[in-house]
Amino acid sequence: MLARLEGGLADFQSGFAASLLSAEKVADRRFSVHRNNVKASLVAALAARFPVVSRLVGVEFFQAMALVFIERCPPRSPVLAAYGAGMGDFLDGFEPVADLPYLADVSRLEWGRRLAWHAADASTISIEALTAVEPDRLAGVRLDLHPAASVVASVWPVISIWTTNTGDEEARPIGPDWVGQSALITRPGLEVFVNALPPSAELLFRSLSAGVALGEAVARAEHIAGFETAAALSLLFRTGAVTSLAVE
Amino acid sequence: MTADRRPRGGLGAGAGLKPEHYRDILDGRPGVGWFEVHAENYMGTGNGAGGPPHFFLEQIRARYPLSVHGVGLSIGSAEGLAPGHLQRLAAVVDRYQPALVSEHLAWSTHAGVFLNDLLPLPYTEATLAVVVRHVDQVQSTLKRRILIENPSTYLRFAVEQMAETAFLCELARRSGCGLLLDVNNVFVSTANHDFDPTVYLADFPVEHIGEIHLAGHASIEVAGGESLLIDTHDRPVSDRVWALYQSLISRIGPYPTLIEWDSDVPTWARLSADVARAESLLSFEEGRHARAA
Amino acid sequence: MTIRTTNLALAAAVAAASLMSVGAGAQTANTDKERCYGISMAGKNDCAATGNNSCAGQAKADYDAKAWKYVAKGSCMNMEVTLKDGMKRKGTLTPM
Repeated sequence: MLARLEGGLADFQSGFAASLLSAEKVADRRFSVHRNNVKASLVAALAARFPVVSRLVGVEFFQAMALVFIERCPPRSPVLAAYGAGMGDFLDGFEPVADLPYLADVSRLEWGRRLAWHAADASTISIEALTAVEPDRLAGVRLDLHPAASVVASVWPVISIWTTNTGDEEARPIGPDWVGQSALITRPGLEVFVNALPPSAELLFRSLSAGVALGEAVARAEHIAGFETAAALSLLFRTGAVTSLAVE
Repeated sequence: MTADRRPRGGLGAGAGLKPEHYRDILDGRPGVGWFEVHAENYMGTGNGAGGPPHFFLEQIRARYPLSVHGVGLSIGSAEGLAPGHLQRLAAVVDRYQPALVSEHLAWSTHAGVFLNDLLPLPYTEATLAVVVRHVDQVQSTLKRRILIENPSTYLRFAVEQMAETAFLCELARRSGCGLLLDVNNVFVSTANHDFDPTVYLADFPVEHIGEIHLAGHASIEVAGGESLLIDTHDRPVSDRVWALYQSLISRIGPYPTLIEWDSDVPTWARLSADVARAESLLSFEEGRHARAA
Repeated sequence: MTIRTTNLALAAAVAAASLMSVGAGAQTANTDKERCYGISMAGKNDCAATGNNSCAGQAKADYDAKAWKYVAKGSCMNMEVTLKDGMKRKGTLTPM
């Protein structure tokens, strides 16, 4: 079957691309090979990116939802590993999953792990580098955080939900006494780690990653109830979130 | 730039590198000539490029020659190449110093949206001018010759002014690029357009070949009892593609040959069996051509 | 708090943190499969030189996005959540 060209190459590609992305049925089965390649491959890429979200909503639902996502947020780069960044915001506003309010944060956790997997490598330092600093100069220390390190803060028990839907044959029920969890994602070597941050320590993480000096970053976080400097610092170093420090 | 005419390019038969096989390759050190990666899988996600993909690729690169095969540059886009993506490709090439670099005669990006398929181009003078300009741009940026691969096609366009083989010949002549001849794509396209693959191969400008691809394809039913071949890379190379390949290299001599298997990836043992088959055919031809010379 | 006491508090916290770190190791929440260098995470749906799906042309994922007709099947999590409408619901991840 011959498709008709209506003008120059640019016009041809505009028309072809519009038909590819359109939801209308096409009679031409040869053309539909391309449309199917585009849609099916992107749906599969998203399913591979968000296996826990897919398990939570079911495969059939996920595929249909992914098609809506693809329509609203098509990939802007040929690097497919980078496709899916907008899933959290998309799920926040996607009415059919309004009854699963934690779904968006679960997707953000999965996405954070994805970014950590591909991020640049860097060597990490242990807390001894910090204990070696003279006490009077500690407040002025600036920490460099690992390119793979990120935090997903949530009012939902995202780590528990993610863990049981990753490691367990059958997902365990989340008890009635659940609390919100903030996940610290790190990848000091080849493995991606997910750890629960002590309450509100994500503010410390964010201040440090913005280049705020240690004294000021701790002071900001200490305004929040439940923040424990020692536990937060211990975890950051232990999980490989810190690559170097500078003493002023 | 002139075509690299060294028989086989010193490489022999290679395999498309899949993460599923990293361990098999590093632990078993199989006697495979070379590996090919898709450039886009080693470009990170915007926060640098490291982690396990590069950890394994660096070790494999230290032991085997490498080919970098781009799948997303959209070299036939009328709107021009995305400069950011060309820079990412240059970074991968710079980091791994591959023996071969290749891309497709296709387009996949339009108005900034990546369509994740190798879409067909109408073979016209206007298209040729666009593709030549882009190949020039890539070769200038990478400071090396690249190979361009013939696509699998399902559609033909009424406005076409030349055959695919003539288009590729002109592209190589004007841009100085080499060609990557995918024999499976030849089989798929010619079957879909009711054309004789041996005639296509007889017309193909073999003097520009730098690499050959072999892969598996599927057949689907289309309305009206017509069947269509799809380039799926999810199964072994078909016997008819092997036969075409064997007759091709007996005519033109041995060239670096890659087995591609990208979906439903098999065990390393299964994939390497196909690589060994290609290698034995290449060795036979190499011996025959050496004796003839 | 004076600068001096801030520094002392910080130094104490750093010392405590270093004690906490002894023997603690990085806690991981990864499965055994992921520990195998997480190859499963990387191997799926890489960029490929072809349509990834052997079902190409079969319109396997032929959904009508406008007439939303799917419900989240969900895994069997029994978790009580308070939704935007203020309603508390239990077991919302069971089929609706």
